[in-house]
Amino acid sequence: MSRLKRAIFLIVPLILLMAVFVFDVVRITVELGDSGFSLLRESAVIGAMVFLYFLLEGTGTKRPGAATKEIGRLLIIVVGTIVFIGLVQFLPGLGFSEAADTAVPQNSLTVFFSLTLSVAVAASSLVGLLTIKELVYHKRKKGTTRNFILYVTLLLLTSVFAMPMFGNDLAFLGTLGLVLSIIMIVVNSFRQNWIVFLSRREKIYCIIYSALLFAAFLALSLLLSNRTFLNKAVLFFSVPLERFVLINSMYGAVYFGMAFVTTLFHLPTAEIYERKQSELSSLHNLGRLITQVFDFKDLVNTVTKMTREVCDARSAWLELVREEKRGAAEHSEVVSRSNISEQEISAITSHPDFVLRQLVTDSRKALLIDEVGSDRRTRHIKELGFPIASLLSVPLVSHDRVIGILHATKSIEFGFDQDDTEVLTTFADQVTIAVENSRLIEQSLERERFRQELMVAQQMQKRLLPQRFPDNAAMEVAAISEPSLEVGGDYFDFVRLEHDRIGVVIGDVSGKGVSAAFYMAEVKGIFQSLSKITDSPRELLIRANQTLIESLERNAFISVLYAIFDVPKSRLTLARAGHCPMILISGEKKELIRPNGLGLGLTEGELFMTSTEERNISLKVGDLCLFYTDGITEARNAEGEEFGYERLVDLCLQIRKLPASGIQDRILSEIRAYCGKNGLNDDLTLVVVKWHGKKSEG
Amino acid sequence: MSEFKVQHRDGDGFSVLELKGYLDAHTAPDLETNLQRLLTDKKFNIVVNCRDLTYISSAGLGVFMAFIEDVRKNKGDIKLSNMSAKVYNVFDLLGFPVLYEIYKDEQEAITKFRQGRRA
Repeated sequence: MSRLKRAIFLIVPLILLMAVFVFDVVRITVELGDSGFSLLRESAVIGAMVFLYFLLEGTGTKRPGAATKEIGRLLIIVVGTIVFIGLVQFLPGLGFSEAADTAVPQNSLTVFFSLTLSVAVAASSLVGLLTIKELVYHKRKKGTTRNFILYVTLLLLTSVFAMPMFGNDLAFLGTLGLVLSIIMIVVNSFRQNWIVFLSRREKIYCIIYSALLFAAFLALSLLLSNRTFLNKAVLFFSVPLERFVLINSMYGAVYFGMAFVTTLFHLPTAEIYERKQSELSSLHNLGRLITQVFDFKDLVNTVTKMTREVCDARSAWLELVREEKRGAAEHSEVVSRSNISEQEISAITSHPDFVLRQLVTDSRKALLIDEVGSDRRTRHIKELGFPIASLLSVPLVSHDRVIGILHATKSIEFGFDQDDTEVLTTFADQVTIAVENSRLIEQSLERERFRQELMVAQQMQKRLLPQRFPDNAAMEVAAISEPSLEVGGDYFDFVRLEHDRIGVVIGDVSGKGVSAAFYMAEVKGIFQSLSKITDSPRELLIRANQTLIESLERNAFISVLYAIFDVPKSRLTLARAGHCPMILISGEKKELIRPNGLGLGLTEGELFMTSTEERNISLKVGDLCLFYTDGITEARNAEGEEFGYERLVDLCLQIRKLPASGIQDRILSEIRAYCGKNGLNDDLTLVVVKWHGKKSEG
Repeated sequence: MSEFKVQHRDGDGFSVLELKGYLDAHTAPDLETNLQRLLTDKKFNIVVNCRDLTYISSAGLGVFMAFIEDVRKNKGDIKLSNMSAKVYNVFDLLGFPVLYEIYKDEQEAITKFRQGRRA
């Protein structure tokens, strides 16, 4: 309400009341008779009351949950009014001269106090009405508004009918109105819903307040209905007002009497209501946490802390099922606990009689043990001497699978009631979502880390492959290596040797990924250094095997083929360690060069040495040597059939006249065409060497 | 992906693992689990029947490498049998016939174990 409005609502009734006062002073000294003046005066009184109503209506707080405060305010006003009435009673020099059926003030001071007393009771009456209206409207139902308006209408009508100008003819209407008003008072007094929402503390206040208000309104009603000073004063001031205030006081008495009784009945449930409230807010808080806590540890710690709050448990712990790679059994891990030690939990869960986990996992339902000590499923816990008398275990179920269990304990038997089970089950659902969310986030972070590691390995692997190919007129070289994953296991390299010789290495490390890249780096180092020391490929493989067998994992091995092209002697010397045979196309002749040899890292020393051979081949101009990995021969078509050696050898024979790079491109395109839309699913490496021989020869 | 299956049966003094399908890096752990179980049960005379094995990759070969040492240390052996020509070629390329006894038929391998026991 604006200040101007408030000022108008205050000043206008003041002026009207002053006018009434002046008129009344004149009235008690001069007999005016039943003239139009009294109608005017009555209108002024009503007008003043209407303004007073609007003034008071604007002062209410109208905040929800402020019911107790509102009642307290009303109590102060009503009690203040009664005290005022009492004080006026004892003022000297006041009195009424009884004449016929109306009392007339003896002097103007009495007139003044009649007016102030009337305004005071009218004000408390209006505040009472407004307060009750707020309470009644707290939880509206169908008919709430209708019944209340009906009451107010009857109240006003009854008051109006009491106007002296209507005389005794309409007295029966006044009586009827009074009776109907009382009926509506009773009807409207059953609207006590607001009490339910009060806290226990507020309810206690409410009981005291409503008892006092009941007494105060009852006192007002009695004072008004008997021929007391107050009764005379209000009647003199305004007969309708007397009706209005009387009926309203009765309403106040009945309503707050009812409120007193209702609150008294609700007191025992106050605690339950409060707990429900705190449960709700806990659930709400967890819902918020889901979106806020990304750190897994923080989340699970909050969960156990809140579990204890939600059901007032003594201790709580959360265990989650740890997922291992396939094949391995699942088992649980305690991820957080509250007010219980790790030793205690492990003593409970590792006990041979511990079956709770299995029971909850199988049933996927909450399990409540009311008497831990005498229940055969949990007797061992009591025997361990822990202060656990009742226990509630709730599963976290995600996609039909139990991903964990939330346990809560109390030190008294029958500590958990039905509500606790329900609330904790709801809570567990939220925890499930939160945990899954947090895990997903962690997983995606981990994947990102892994991806970056792979990128590093991939770059490393790229650098391991030769950046420059041999630049020798005697041989034309083309080579390519395509990993199927980010990091493959294929490898090739060239070594420049003394006496115009060139070494070619091709290999395949078992396995893929980062570890394969590391082995590859090792192989490169070994070949680059050993090739300078020994001239014999076989010798080199034997030494490489000795070195590698130390560092390779037991299930890892490397297949390698090492060939030395000797330009001056037009000779090729090669040894094979489990690798695919070299294809040699010489004129129309095709041959798979496959000296015996074991893969590197398979066996040590003696056996490797005896089973590894070396071959020498004389090269002719135009000869084609093809080195490759099994990605080529094992490429599959849609029917699952492999490309195979035969197809590869025949293709080489057919395209032998192409330059080295042309041969490489052709083989790759043939392989791709063969695989069709399935694509390649292995690493693929190809080294093509076309022999041109010494310049002098050509 | 292609399927891979391991079937296990026990005989008198030997165990047979029958491999079926496609043995590569993805399916190798299945075979590992089976071999590990045999070792845990102290069954060291193992015949691996490869009759229905359609493909073996280097990771698949690695599985045998991982276990052979332990098996032989316990006076047992892993003998292979019934390989298709294609699968044999993969073993042969790497020089496995030098390291493992490979038989045409499962029964030959079993007989070998029996003879070893009598000796």
